[in-house]
Amino acid sequence: MNLQTRIENNVTVLTVSGRLDTVTAPEYEKNIREMISGGNIKFVVDFEQLEYISSAGLRGLLVMAKLLNEKSGRMCLANVKGNVRSVFDMCGFTSVFTMKDSVSEALAVFV
Amino acid sequence: MPFKNSIVVKFVLVISLFNAVIFALTLGYNYYQSRVILQQELESNSRNLAMSLVHRVETELAAVAKVTEGIARSLETSPHNERELLTLIRSSIEQNPEISGAGVAFEPYAFNAASHLYAPYFYRENGKISFRRLEKAYLDFPYPYWDWYQIPRELGKLEWSEPYFDEGAGNILKSTCSVPFYKDTASGKQLKGIVISDISLDSLTQLISSIKILKTGYAALLSRNGMILAHPMKDAIMNETFFSIAEGRNDPSLRELGKKMIRGETGFIHYQSLVGFDSWMYYTPIPSTGWTLAVVFPEEELLENVRKLSMTMMMMGFVGILLLTLVVIYIARTIIKPLRLLTGATDEIAAGHFDVELPATRSNDEVGELAHNFQVMRESLKEYIRNLTETTASKERIQSELKVATNIQASLLPRIFPPFPDHPEFDIYASMVPAKEVGGDFYDFFFIDKNHLCFLIADVSDKGVPAALYMMVAKTLLKTEGQRLGEPDKILSSVNNILALDNENCMFTTVFCAILDITTGDVRYANAGHNPPLILDSHGVRYLTPKPGLMLGALSGTVFVTERLTLEPDATLFLYTDGVTEAKNPEDALYGQERMLKALQGAPRDDLAKMIHFISSEVAQHANGAPQSDDITMLAIKMAKKGIA
Repeated sequence: MNLQTRIENNVTVLTVSGRLDTVTAPEYEKNIREMISGGNIKFVVDFEQLEYISSAGLRGLLVMAKLLNEKSGRMCLANVKGNVRSVFDMCGFTSVFTMKDSVSEALAVFV
Repeated sequence: MPFKNSIVVKFVLVISLFNAVIFALTLGYNYYQSRVILQQELESNSRNLAMSLVHRVETELAAVAKVTEGIARSLETSPHNERELLTLIRSSIEQNPEISGAGVAFEPYAFNAASHLYAPYFYRENGKISFRRLEKAYLDFPYPYWDWYQIPRELGKLEWSEPYFDEGAGNILKSTCSVPFYKDTASGKQLKGIVISDISLDSLTQLISSIKILKTGYAALLSRNGMILAHPMKDAIMNETFFSIAEGRNDPSLRELGKKMIRGETGFIHYQSLVGFDSWMYYTPIPSTGWTLAVVFPEEELLENVRKLSMTMMMMGFVGILLLTLVVIYIARTIIKPLRLLTGATDEIAAGHFDVELPATRSNDEVGELAHNFQVMRESLKEYIRNLTETTASKERIQSELKVATNIQASLLPRIFPPFPDHPEFDIYASMVPAKEVGGDFYDFFFIDKNHLCFLIADVSDKGVPAALYMMVAKTLLKTEGQRLGEPDKILSSVNNILALDNENCMFTTVFCAILDITTGDVRYANAGHNPPLILDSHGVRYLTPKPGLMLGALSGTVFVTERLTLEPDATLFLYTDGVTEAKNPEDALYGQERMLKALQGAPRDDLAKMIHFISSEVAQHANGAPQSDDITMLAIKMAKKGIA
């Protein structure tokens, strides 16, 4: 897994690439916790380059949503497609998370 | 065994061998240089000796020549009558003891017209002086034809004859000095006769033979023709020439040497002497007679002292190296001793005896430092081993506890098949293989009333101990709520609300929960984010497409939907977790839903245990040795064939 961060219009854009599974999810969670406790409460998570997500990865997303909820923050997922999309569909995540087809659309949610 | 391949042996070998080599080289060089110096010394010594001998011979010869010349000059300057002539000759013998005989031989009719030949001759015989007339003594071969007369007559100068034996005068070796004398006439100088003086060579040869050089060295005298005059080989004297010996021995180098000698050359050579020793020889001519004097030094004896010295030095060197070796052994063993003790100690430590006594170190040298470091290392090792033992013990404890946990977890899942032998209406089989000691997957089935069987499969997020604990809670809740509520959507909603409460870690579990009416084959089911099951019936094998639902524990208040299907007789419902479809091979390729569908199409359908084992082996084949990353769980339920129920 590789995590890249940039700030656009006060929104943190996370680009996740590679695999988000049992091995990499703890690292993802650690980064997210640091960013949220550092004051970032608006997130766009770009899954354009995410190849695979496991249940541990899903848990990471849930933790993120929960932490943001506590701080009145928000998150929006972008480019959830392919394998990742079918996992989302299967476990009902589609109904829990806001999802957009591109980063710019996702950013528009926060305007 | 302290000497076996040890440092001591290496020390001794290297030092002793090097010393031996250096010593041998020194000795060899010394021997060689001694020879060279000896040779130079020898050349000068032999030249001096030869020259002094030549001088003595020359002095004797010169005295005789002078007397002979004196008589000749006297005869030339004044006329002598017979009486005066005889007195002159006789007195010259009496006054010169080295002259053994003297005479005057006149040319025919030169003494007086009356006598044809006239040659008076005095000689020593038994201590007295005798007289003879040579013209009467040599009647058969008159004296004018003898060499001693002919050669000086023709050459017109003093001449020494080749040495010869005078048999008439006691068989002594003689040489004759002949000097021509003349009378002045109007037509110039006219030869009147030859004055002769004999010299006995015995004293000369005795002088030369008496020269002893070392033990076997000698001096030798050769005539102008190479005739041997004085030599330790007595038989050769006056019998052999240098050339006849060379001929006899077929030795060209000896002949060459002879030629050089009779040419009057001087030389210093290394050769094999006539008596057979390797020798050094100095040879030089005696100028007045053209004879050659040689002095011969036997090499063997010359080098004897050098050899003796070398032998002594060798013995001293040998003893020295022996002593050195002993000293080296002593020093090396002194150095090695603590090392040997240390080596013994390491053996003990290697065998695990950390409390072995280490040798005390008094010295501050490298060995002392080594021993000190060794002490420190032993302490560190002890400490390390103790820590390791503790760690291993605690790890083993955890392992055994995990083992117990595995057993407990396994015992929580129904494992006895067939579980309901008195229910021929359906068959059910399931298996769970955890990726770690304890897993997060589980399955369950139980009757909620006489005709309704609840069965479910679930997958807790993550693996290991946290997942196993969560699984215990989820499984218990699902069973109690299942028996209480009897409707899949209600069961899931209720359990979800309980799990979502105080879920700090955001753990969750996917569940596929269904209730089968065993009399009709009707199935009511609800899905909480779990992988879609498959149906195997008369229409083939296909995935079910349940409505998506959020997994349990993620969010409270989630609503689930109950759906329905009917299992016809002999149809099978196949449930699994993502450990099956997401099994990876070494190239990271997932097993996938496609492969599983194909595998089920080819799997045995009658026996559910065989079906599940078949899928297991297919997955294992796909994994091809790659480690199992997730729990692998499968559950299959099948309605009986028509007529059996």
